[in-house]
Amino acid sequence: MTATTTPTFVPERRGLTFGGILNSEFIKLRTLRSTLWCYAIIVVITLGLGFVLATSYSSNTTLPGYSQQAIWLLASTVGVAFGQLVIAVLGALVITGEYGTGMIRSTLTAVPKRIPALTAKALVFGVVTFLIAFVAVVLTAVVIAPILPSRGVQPDFGDSKVWLALVGAAVALALVGVLSLSIGAIIRNSAGGIAISLGLLLVLPTIISIFAAVTRLTWVGNVQQFLPNSAAGRMYSYVSNSTAVATDGSFVLEPWQAVLVLVGWVAVFFALAAVLLKRRDA
Amino acid sequence: MIEATGLTKRYGSKTAVDGVSFTVRPGIVTGFLGPNGAGKSTTMRLIVGLDRPSAGTVTVNGRSYASLHAPLHEVGVLLDAKAVHTGRSALNHLLALAATHGIPRRRVDEVIGLTGLESVASKRVGGFSLGMGQRLGIAAALLGDPATLILDEPVNGLDPEGVIWVRNLAKFLAGEGRTVFLSSHLMSEMAQTADHIIVLGRGRVIADSPVADIIAMAKGNSVTVRTPDAARFATLLGERRATVTNSEPNKLSVTGLDAAQIGELAAGAGVVLHELSPVAASLEDAYLALTQDEVEYHAGGAAPTLEGVAR
Repeated sequence: MTATTTPTFVPERRGLTFGGILNSEFIKLRTLRSTLWCYAIIVVITLGLGFVLATSYSSNTTLPGYSQQAIWLLASTVGVAFGQLVIAVLGALVITGEYGTGMIRSTLTAVPKRIPALTAKALVFGVVTFLIAFVAVVLTAVVIAPILPSRGVQPDFGDSKVWLALVGAAVALALVGVLSLSIGAIIRNSAGGIAISLGLLLVLPTIISIFAAVTRLTWVGNVQQFLPNSAAGRMYSYVSNSTAVATDGSFVLEPWQAVLVLVGWVAVFFALAAVLLKRRDA
Repeated sequence: MIEATGLTKRYGSKTAVDGVSFTVRPGIVTGFLGPNGAGKSTTMRLIVGLDRPSAGTVTVNGRSYASLHAPLHEVGVLLDAKAVHTGRSALNHLLALAATHGIPRRRVDEVIGLTGLESVASKRVGGFSLGMGQRLGIAAALLGDPATLILDEPVNGLDPEGVIWVRNLAKFLAGEGRTVFLSSHLMSEMAQTADHIIVLGRGRVIADSPVADIIAMAKGNSVTVRTPDAARFATLLGERRATVTNSEPNKLSVTGLDAAQIGELAAGAGVVLHELSPVAASLEDAYLALTQDEVEYHAGGAAPTLEGVAR
């Protein structure tokens, strides 16, 4: 068909590009209040809890160097466990908010192949979450560093294991956020998406740990290691060289194994979300 | 150009669109008319790939919507005014949509100006009235300066000035050679805007013709006759196989004979006539005649009036 143009406008017909979709999703993410609130809460909680822990800590004995580093890292990342819950809420809202308001129909008419829209949304949300979480934990580590020496802890900024764990904390939050976004895309309802995400991160681990405590079964405790929140937690814990090997058959994931476990969770839920998005009526 | 072939959509046991085939041509305004629940919106959702057809195909400019390289430049669509996140401002909503296709900021400003949204562009959409939401939906549809426009109930919630604006816009865009496809449940609206009308009832196409032909398809034109001798004349007319309805004393509404034949019959029988006037069917009558068996939701079991259908 011959498409004529209005006299005032000659469109730059560059067409639909993945870069354009990424840009669109970035605009969408930063122009909602819920995004700003959730990220602000994550930064404030990380800083606040880190500060509280650092100022309340005191040791009478002289700790070995790796323990001092572990305490510094713990204080810097103590808020991340709460951050997981906040980012899970935001992750679900990022997609269910579109279903709740009808925005999804605008999104999918602009990107009718659908999968690029979901991929761009997850990518933008994951990267932005990583950056903000990384700033939050590094800022906390820097802020509490001057407080700790008077309490028997000498932070060593040259310790690569600390930096790796700080990166791990940010990656963990990003992955938990994308996991929750995938759950939201499957459920397509804000209340339901948030409930299931928090159930997976908070309720399920509690039930299993109660079960493990009551039955005293080692394998139940081992199963717990593979839940998203435990795997995320392992990604920012300090790994010393003198890790004792357990003799009772229980084990703890290495940080790199924890990354694989959490990536696995995200992959499964994201794939399911993508298949359903492609197949269902919007 | 929009082409639907055997397009069918079933939701569970309910068939919303039932083997619909039609062509929407460029250069004219095509109206898509039908009572609530006739399947107009579902058909439009099928065109832009939001719903997957149970059977049949629909293409835009010869391709399925999902396979278009630049969907927003090919098709501008207003499906409902609520396809917007209520927490975002109108400007940011349009900027986000524009970004997908690399549409520049000046085009966003242009459609905001075109739809009269300047004063509310930075306000969150949640506070918008129905009319403002509708204008934003139209702005989004125009964003890519598309060759085809699909507007579902575009005048819903608009003030009279807005209604006239949409009407003129539709005609102007069609005049530029674009394909314009508008839906409405109001015949009067379509009569003033559309060149060609597709009437849908219970998911099926029940008429697909130029506006003039739709009028001719009405039950037939009637003649109003006023006579003091109504009872006797009605019997005479009945003998000539005319259909007579007696709506008030001394007034007959006759179909099946034209005014000349009725006059001759009266003269021959010595019946005094006080009035003999042909009544042309209006577009409204034509629409009601076409859809009266197809209305999904009757108002309280009464015969469907246009108001009954509209609300």
